[in-house]
Amino acid sequence: MLKGDPMKTISVSAVALLAAGAVSAQGLPQADSDWFVAGETTIQEILDRQPNTNTARNVILMVADGNGVGTNYATRLFMGQQEGGLGEDYVLPFETTDWAAALVKTYNINAQTPDSAPTAGAMNTGVKQRFNLINLGEEAIHDDCSTVEGNELTLLSEMMTEAGRSVGIVSTARVTHATPAAVYAKTANRNWEDSVPEDCTAQADIATQLIDAMEAGIIDLAMGGGARHFLPEGTDGGRRTDGVNLVERATGLGAQWATNTEEFEGLTLDGETPILALFEDSHMQYEYDRTDEPSISEMTAAAIEYLSQNEEGYFLEVEAGRVDHASHAGNLFRTLTDGAAFMEAVATADEMTDDSDTLIIVTADHEHALAFNGYCGRGSDITGLCYGIAQEGIEHTDEPNLGSDGLPYTVAGFLNGAGSVLVEQLPEEGETEAPTETETGEASPEESAPIYSGSRSELTQEEATDPDYLQQALIPMSSETHSGEDVAVYAKGPFAHLFDGTIEQNVIFHVMNHAAFKSAE
Amino acid sequence: MLRRTFLTAAAALPLAGRAVAQTEDAPIKLRELYEGRQLSALGEDLLGERITVEGYMAPPLKADSQFFVLTKMPMAVCPFCETSAEWPDDIVAIYTKRTVDVIPFNVGIDTTGILEWGEYRDPDTGFVSMLRLTDATYG
Ligand SMILES: [Zn+2]
Repeated sequence: MLKGDPMKTISVSAVALLAAGAVSAQGLPQADSDWFVAGETTIQEILDRQPNTNTARNVILMVADGNGVGTNYATRLFMGQQEGGLGEDYVLPFETTDWAAALVKTYNINAQTPDSAPTAGAMNTGVKQRFNLINLGEEAIHDDCSTVEGNELTLLSEMMTEAGRSVGIVSTARVTHATPAAVYAKTANRNWEDSVPEDCTAQADIATQLIDAMEAGIIDLAMGGGARHFLPEGTDGGRRTDGVNLVERATGLGAQWATNTEEFEGLTLDGETPILALFEDSHMQYEYDRTDEPSISEMTAAAIEYLSQNEEGYFLEVEAGRVDHASHAGNLFRTLTDGAAFMEAVATADEMTDDSDTLIIVTADHEHALAFNGYCGRGSDITGLCYGIAQEGIEHTDEPNLGSDGLPYTVAGFLNGAGSVLVEQLPEEGETEAPTETETGEASPEESAPIYSGSRSELTQEEATDPDYLQQALIPMSSETHSGEDVAVYAKGPFAHLFDGTIEQNVIFHVMNHAAFKSAE
Repeated sequence: MLRRTFLTAAAALPLAGRAVAQTEDAPIKLRELYEGRQLSALGEDLLGERITVEGYMAPPLKADSQFFVLTKMPMAVCPFCETSAEWPDDIVAIYTKRTVDVIPFNVGIDTTGILEWGEYRDPDTGFVSMLRLTDATYG
């Protein structure tokens, strides 16, 4: 009997109401609105979804470093505005209903605010890791080589190799940098890119580990920056103090070698001859400044063409590494131009592959201290000033909104970094020390903190939208920081529907593992 | 004496200049002197001339010297991006008339000097530059 069960009664009437609403939707005054029609279309597309339970022959993990929900939002507006639209309604390549999505918690075992090493490690191993180390178990300690042995984790790349599949990495950062390194390296310190401490024998440096992995047949293709970590000191900007030339070692193993656009275009994408392509001594250039280097989309296309020669399948990790660096610099323009280049790479990967056998995952490792002001009218340039909301019509007014200081402000800003409105107050000539706040009694007498003060300056739209502009920030720091805020994950292809709700970052590995291996068991 | 008042004014001035960057005596943006990693056509035209360039003073490599590096954006040092200080490609080495009075790395300055191109190694710091302003003043 339903009597005496109010919950049931309520839910039954709710269902009845919904059904009644559905029947009479066409009679609603809003039924002819484009918004209403589009909403119904979206629902129908979601209703038509069929879970794809094929085995994923291929897995492509695409990570825009530092591209959390907020940064991704900014890129959406930027791309829409670049194409002449208002921006807010723009649809990124993975924002359609054929992509599944979830929110991701990115913290590290011992860090609320994560860094890129353990976050990429979590995606490549299935477990969270400790700050600043890569692919070591939870007992391992950062910077302590003695904790490496016995704590090495098994990587997705190794499992793929075991299954006869090929593995590739593409990054616009150094290929020895945290995110790409997490595909092949196990290290107590993410900075051991070309050397380890003298008494450390439990692991090799990260560059050596890459060539070891290439020799072992685990890594088939590596494209990005970072040549200096592969070359001995005294040659072409090389930084290796052990005198080893890892490029010669790689080519000695039969690998192809490329350093510029022409050599990139000359690579044989036969799926058999390994590829080592390092286009810069350090990171590759920002997309906006790029000369004589392939774009991330071009590298992704070459990698997919190469890896798809293997009938058994492949694992490819693609990283847009410099989205993160531009935010560290406080320069939103380059964050977004590199973000847009990443979106192009996602579209390329999607076009070149088949949803029936390829799982594509798009995510970020962490967010930045990027925040957004209000109340801005539609179409306010995401890199520029926050203009007023129009009383009539849609697009923003011509008047920028003002703070209580009477000055305009930008749509986006950073909470900290080089763009800080607080400026160090240096002593005048003749004074030997910076003026200090001595009265607090908190600071040690020998070393007192310098004084920072300042105010916001007058700002025009032309200045704010300049490619080299740094958004205003609050706390002064030489480099803007990451934040612990969620990132999103989007996916399509086999078992993409497993992404749902709010998940821990290491779950991303488990979806790949399930789609690639377990579903066939 | 704090430099506070002066700095606030100095920070505002180059910004005001930027709005009229097209007029002849307005300062040149540092990036206009480069085409990729090479000297731009504009830079080529201005070689040997006394010009004013907008930019930022990177934290000096050596105290009480007559040398600093001008960057187009504040020289943020990112521990996660770099294991040691790394210079962008598009910088200008500044050789000043008088000993450098340090200005914070994120306060915009205008620097005036004679434009030179060609590889030069600074004898004190070993810093190798391609593009320089010599006999320079700034503020
Ligand atoms: Zn970072």
